[in-house]
Amino acid sequence: MIHFDNVTKVYQTQKHPALDSVSIDVDKGEFVFLVGPSGSGKSTFLRLVLKEEKPNKGRVHVAGKDLARLSNWKVPHLRRRIGCVFQDFRLLPNKNVFENVAFALEVIGKPRRFIRKVVPEVVDLVGLEGKSDRMPDELSGGEQQRVAIARAFVNRPQILLADEPTGNIDPATSIGIMKVLDRINRTGTTVVMATHDAAIVDSMRKRVIELEEGVVIRDQTRGVYGQAY
Amino acid sequence: MRAQFVLSETWIGLRRNLTMTVAVITTVAISLALFGGGLLINQQVEEMRRYWDERVSLTVYMCTDTSLSPTCEESGAATEEERTKIHEDLEAMPEVASVDYVTASEAWQDFQERFSNHEALVEAAQEGDIPDNFRVQLKDPTQYQQVTDAVQGRPGVDSVHDDQQVLEQFFSLLDGLKWAALVVSFVQLAAAALLIGNTIRLSAYSRRRETGIMRLVGASNFYIQLPFLLEAAVAGLIGGIIASGFIVAARFFLLDRIQEWFQFDITLGVGAVMYVIGVSVCLGILLCTVAAFLTLRRYLRV
Repeated sequence: MIHFDNVTKVYQTQKHPALDSVSIDVDKGEFVFLVGPSGSGKSTFLRLVLKEEKPNKGRVHVAGKDLARLSNWKVPHLRRRIGCVFQDFRLLPNKNVFENVAFALEVIGKPRRFIRKVVPEVVDLVGLEGKSDRMPDELSGGEQQRVAIARAFVNRPQILLADEPTGNIDPATSIGIMKVLDRINRTGTTVVMATHDAAIVDSMRKRVIELEEGVVIRDQTRGVYGQAY
Repeated sequence: MRAQFVLSETWIGLRRNLTMTVAVITTVAISLALFGGGLLINQQVEEMRRYWDERVSLTVYMCTDTSLSPTCEESGAATEEERTKIHEDLEAMPEVASVDYVTASEAWQDFQERFSNHEALVEAAQEGDIPDNFRVQLKDPTQYQQVTDAVQGRPGVDSVHDDQQVLEQFFSLLDGLKWAALVVSFVQLAAAALLIGNTIRLSAYSRRRETGIMRLVGASNFYIQLPFLLEAAVAGLIGGIIASGFIVAARFFLLDRIQEWFQFDITLGVGAVMYVIGVSVCLGILLCTVAAFLTLRRYLRV
């Protein structure tokens, strides 16, 4: 599903590569944790998958497409197959829960009937039954993140990228978020989650890829956050 | 769904930057009004040229007893013979289309009619001030020199007037006006384009959250940019409509005044004014949209 082949990315303003000859394979339906200290290349990895950045060397394949050969006007279609969740939720403050989730479908031109059918399903799936009319500022951090996940998932993407989704949320609530991500993973969606949260990684027992200074230093199928921590 | 979404986004954008939108509309309106004014004058000049090219003539004035030119002093008032000879010669020239003989009293009547609303002018003149003359219609108005040379200085001929030269002075005045209006309008249009760029930049900035999400969920570039482009186009359209008002006003007040002043009775038709308005409005919309598009390419990474 995601295939990195000797990928090197150097940002123009920096001397050291953010990713240095990284080769990673993520299969369809996998759940992968991407761990490592800040600046180790986790976010760069996610940005390369979205084709927000181009690698300096190496090849990136996502959902069977060679991103180097994907013309710019086709990038939006790639992104429709990828859902994204961030630490800071990125909800629209002037739209309620339903509208925030529906926005993702409206802007890719889905018909209204379809939106009215699928949005409530997804809102229920992330555990926000009965809260469709709430505004973001009436929700807790955990609930806001659930809205963000619903928005990322509503178009049934093949891949869900989560960049520290529990970074702004207390540990107890984080467990609920992880359950939602796990549920999404069970529908066959590949989930890649960058995180600092050792407790979560340890409890899930999923594949762990550890990056340090742009290099993969560990790739375990049923891993933990790290012995050293 | 799509249309409704795009239109509501456009409306929100226009309202959110209300002051900037007003500034854009004002600048666009003024620049387009000047541009339209320039076009209008251009149309007027062209229409007058066409009108006068058909009618423009050389006027060959004959000597009278009171004529002061040296030829007339020498030979005195034109005789019947001289008149007939000149008439025949003029008609025989290949450049000449037609020759009309106008007697002094006919010329006087024509003068009175033409300046009927300028009493002072009519009172200051009297019959005979305009001598009898030949109105010579040329096949090609540029060939007046050959005809002038053929009759100028012949006994009985006082002077030869080329109406075209009088008109040219008038036209060059209008041309000057036209270019002044056009140059100022181009400077204004450039300012308008920069202003639109800034407005759209602000608009894109205040909606960066929305556009960021749109980008992430895979909305197409066109779909992301469309509300901004429409915002600019609407501003251009409103500016154009206001400018149309100015253009119509200019047609009625400015051009009519000029015509009154110079005693030319050609009026720009509705078609010509509509043409000017159409060109101006299209230019306004196009300018705004292109300026917005170029700005978005820089400030709205897709």
